[in-house]
Amino acid sequence: MIDRIALSTLALLVAASPAAANRVFVSNERGNDVTVLDSETLEVIGTYPVGARPRGITISPDGKELYVCASDDDLVRVFDPETMQETHTLPSGPDPELFVLHPSGNPLYIANEDDNLVTVVDTKTHKMLAEIPVGVEPEGMGISPDGKVVINTSETTNMAHFINSETFEIFANVLVDSRPRFAQFNDQGSKLYVSSEIGGSVSVIDPATQAITKKITFQIPGVLPEAIQPVGVRVTRDGSRVFVALGPANRVAVIDGATDEVLDYLLVGQRVWQMGFTPDDKFLFTTNGNSNDVSVIDVAAMKVVKSVPVGQQPWGVVVAPN
Amino acid sequence: MRYLLVAFGLLAGAAHAEGGADPDWPCIQRKQPHLSLGQMWTGPAPDDAVRELARKPELAALADRLEQRRLPLPQAEAEIADYAKSADNQHLTALMLAIFDRIEPHRAALMDGIARYGRKQVDLAARIEGHRHEMARLEAIDPPDFDAIDAQEQKLDWDMRIFQDRQQALTYVCETPVILEQRVFALGRAIAAGLK
Repeated sequence: MIDRIALSTLALLVAASPAAANRVFVSNERGNDVTVLDSETLEVIGTYPVGARPRGITISPDGKELYVCASDDDLVRVFDPETMQETHTLPSGPDPELFVLHPSGNPLYIANEDDNLVTVVDTKTHKMLAEIPVGVEPEGMGISPDGKVVINTSETTNMAHFINSETFEIFANVLVDSRPRFAQFNDQGSKLYVSSEIGGSVSVIDPATQAITKKITFQIPGVLPEAIQPVGVRVTRDGSRVFVALGPANRVAVIDGATDEVLDYLLVGQRVWQMGFTPDDKFLFTTNGNSNDVSVIDVAAMKVVKSVPVGQQPWGVVVAPN
Repeated sequence: MRYLLVAFGLLAGAAHAEGGADPDWPCIQRKQPHLSLGQMWTGPAPDDAVRELARKPELAALADRLEQRRLPLPQAEAEIADYAKSADNQHLTALMLAIFDRIEPHRAALMDGIARYGRKQVDLAARIEGHRHEMARLEAIDPPDFDAIDAQEQKLDWDMRIFQDRQQALTYVCETPVILEQRVFALGRAIAAGLK
């Protein structure tokens, strides 16, 4: 009896205690700063300058280093996420826009839009390891969960390039629809999603065969097709839900990860661009570049729960792992 | 001459950055000729009854006032919240439609205007190039006709000044459709918050 009471009290305590609050970092492309939010209260903690035209943003797996593509400074700036003080910079090549971190935290693979290269940088020694020639206007970057395959998408060549993450050699190219913007694997490594902004589609690719198994397209009642421009893609850890930011359609599409069918379109803010999950996949944050806010989506309920004003032209978002 | 080349570069760069789908479009922002209601609104789809309602004087007057940018947004939101207290979903949808139908044609006309502005800049750039060739030709003549060179130089300076002034105004001009989009979206959000 006592045991049962103790147990139920414990259960109650666990249920009542809030999920761990994480810091949410939003890069503001025009504000030249990063807005930091609390993932639990959804309040703004502060806004910090981070250099010229910050776009891509990511954080190390241990949560100790925050990386920001300072596109107009032509480098990656690294910050202490606690203090938001800059600790050092990394060479990135010209106009870095997006990057992806190896699952181990090292190295960092950076797309250089202006010179058709992917730059590989060692995050420990801060040295450039390689420059990989890719297609014209490289943009989207993805990495397989085992860290063996890096994907780069080139906007003008309209390809997803499969790069061996150790030899830095391209071993496959997949032609996708016009202007591919983003590449995202599911955590199972069984699917790769590549969004095409002008093509208006998401290609689902089997990473083993590099074959396109499905092209997801979007129709939203009352929205002109040219407003539907898929950009950011995120997948829940279990692979069951895929979220696609549709740019000026101001919607996020929710897709069934098993059937690749669209389940719903959620109205968020204007020109929705990139997205980031909390580590428990409870919330998804979306950056809305024209309404200058971040929408918070309750992932399980598939509902927008709040919009939080941030800086000027929010672009990227990442949530601290701890 | 170098700054003229820079200005050309900017113009070309803007078109290039957005895939060059429309060479007449001078803005960095992607050209989106028309807005659609579904970009702003997930409430009930307007039917004939709602369209009829949107034309009623009382609702039209409210839409006219809310649409004006001189009415600060917080005040517009407060007016909408007030209206929503007694309005049903049909009336709120009609209000959204009335606002959208005011802002969208205004924005579409503005988009056309910007495209014309862009074309004029391209024409002016061609004319400047012509002046430059003429200058080179005059300067090559021996003996030089200094009066003709001076006159030509003045033409060149004048056109370049117009070109640069317009180019500087472009940033602001290109922002205007975005400001209208922001307005209609923010009003839509406020109206949607009042849906029952």
